[in-house]
Amino acid sequence: MNILVILRMMPDATGELLLTEDGLGIDREWLDFQLNDFDDHALEDAILLKEASGAKVTVLAIGEGANRVLQMAAARGADEVIALPGEEDELISSRDLAATVVDFARSKSADLVVCGVQSSEDLFGQLAPYVGAMLEWPHVSGTNRIQASGDRLHVTQERGAGVSVTYEVALPAVLGVQTATKAPRYVSGSKLREASKTPIGKGERQASSFALSATIGGLHIPEQNGSALQLGDDAEHVAERIVAILESNGMGRN
Amino acid sequence: MKIYACTEGRSGQVDAVSLEMITAARGLARDGDDVIAFFAGSAAEDAASKVGAADRLVAAIASQADIVVAETYARQLCHVIAVEGDGIVMVPYSANGLDVASSVAARLNWPLVSYVERITHDGGSLSVVAQLYGGKVLADCSVPLPAVLMINPGAFKEAEATPIAADRVTTIDISEHAAASRARPIAIGLPDFSDVDLKAADRIVCVGRGIGDEASIDLARDLAALLGAEIAGSRPVVDNGWLSKLRQVGKSGQKVKPKLYMALGISGAPEHLEGMAQSDVIIAVNTDPKAPIFNVAHYGATCDLFDLMSSLSERLKASGS
Ligand SMILES: Cc1cc2nc3c(=O)[nH]c(=O)nc-3n(C[C@H](O)[C@H](O)[C@H](O)COP(=O)(O)OP(=O)(O)OC[C@H]3O[C@@H](n4cnc5c(N)ncnc54)[C@H](O)[C@@H]3O)c2cc1C
Ligand SMILES: Nc1ncnc2c1ncn2[C@@H]1O[C@H](COP(=O)(O)O)[C@@H](O)[C@H]1O
Repeated sequence: MNILVILRMMPDATGELLLTEDGLGIDREWLDFQLNDFDDHALEDAILLKEASGAKVTVLAIGEGANRVLQMAAARGADEVIALPGEEDELISSRDLAATVVDFARSKSADLVVCGVQSSEDLFGQLAPYVGAMLEWPHVSGTNRIQASGDRLHVTQERGAGVSVTYEVALPAVLGVQTATKAPRYVSGSKLREASKTPIGKGERQASSFALSATIGGLHIPEQNGSALQLGDDAEHVAERIVAILESNGMGRN
Repeated sequence: MKIYACTEGRSGQVDAVSLEMITAARGLARDGDDVIAFFAGSAAEDAASKVGAADRLVAAIASQADIVVAETYARQLCHVIAVEGDGIVMVPYSANGLDVASSVAARLNWPLVSYVERITHDGGSLSVVAQLYGGKVLADCSVPLPAVLMINPGAFKEAEATPIAADRVTTIDISEHAAASRARPIAIGLPDFSDVDLKAADRIVCVGRGIGDEASIDLARDLAALLGAEIAGSRPVVDNGWLSKLRQVGKSGQKVKPKLYMALGISGAPEHLEGMAQSDVIIAVNTDPKAPIFNVAHYGATCDLFDLMSSLSERLKASGS
């Protein structure tokens, strides 16, 4: 089985995000970039499938820090790693990226394409269903378990409220992973150092297959709506207030 | 113009989020426009008893299919659009919707904007406000028509559930297509709430990634016990295996509405808010004063969650003895 994995680097949005002066993008200068969490889970599923039933795993990565993440992928067991050129200072549109992924799926004779179910920048649509529709391959998003079963896969999808659906999926197929079958593994420093010698291929981007989705007129940071009564940052004081709040809502200790 | 409200559900039942799509569609409809509810499933009765706020119902029926897979759903919707005419397709942001929205946009080469919060009609185009970076940034987008929009649950109110007249229902048989699908549902897993049912809990202490490691979950468990609350977690905490799946709150977990919801170290991503924003009293503790959780909280604190857990536990112990 040939598996193609796509890794997208995303700005670390846990801290404060600032906008560029023209208000059309986020200021990336001081931001850290991290692997999209869901893509990390997709990579893990690809490696688990390789370990369970043998596969060649090819990994594409795009965005700032792609090379570092590709070395990590090699250390975890990827066979071939390829960096895609990104556009600096622009969000990674999965809609535009889909054509490139389709091209690689064909040239690498992929039986399975896996990526994260979403990314924080996929405003114009999600990668797995775009690629699936373009290739006319079945696609399932929101997976939390993937297992090979002969020439097919058994794939479990989370549907919310504790409901899950398991599909038998004929290959070739595209999967949008939410949670890997097992939590992504830890890679030791020595493995990373060894993998740092892995040659990183250079891939080419294809032009988007699709019409422009929308024009972004402006971005803004939502104001805190001020609905929350602030209890401050002193834990002792906050605890005291919380006890009072519980009491006034009839939830005090009795 | 046709405005398609995509409904979804399983075993012939439609989920409540379907009615939100009808509200979103109705809000854009002008004289002469048609709001068409699209349903795909094993039987049309439940949909027909609820989507009366739409002008019409097109029900794609595969009598044996508890779940119509997204690929089939998308293909059939495209067929319906080819027959009925172009317009706007409203898809809920859900497991199924994630697959349907981009698949339809790709097949029709129509624009798509995801994570939509607000929509206004702007003559020949739409102005939409959509979320980026888990809701930390909002994007004002101008979307040419026809178009597909994937809409956040909760962004629109549910339309009133009323029956639709029988002469406004079109049924098409898709059994053959569903059977031909290369992704075949083989099992539906239903939750067993006998261990814990967060939906029935009065009080919930929910911990997020800010809790840091598995050992610290015990501290939160102790606090929950003192409060008479159930312990719950955000997705990363559950994914790490620190709490069981039934204790996850949010889009792919449980939707809860307790009297007390205490969020510790949770940023408040839209997928989390979807599961808890309706709680009676929400207290959020997060060191980042800009965390979106504070937009739904009634009380917010920016102290360290570990300091708070220990101070509060001590106070509760003291007052309890
Ligand atoms: C299809 C889909 C379904 C999803 N379903 C769900 C779901 O059901 N439930 C869910 O929760 N998520 C769900 N998610 C994931 C969601 O998008 C977020 O990734 C997730 O909610 C983030 O969890 P978090 O807030 O715990 O972590 P983070 O976003 O990492 O936030 C951690 C927070 O802790 C704060 N913090 C850190 N240390 C401390 C400290 N010492 N004291 C106080 N605060 C601290 C930080 O400031 C930060 O705001 C889903 C995503 C997708 C795509
Ligand atoms: N839901 C579906 N899943 C898989 N294949 C389908 C589905 N619907 C149609 N097909 C097949 O896809 C091809 C094109 O069908 P159509 O979409 O009707 O043009 C035909 O071979 C159909 O049998």
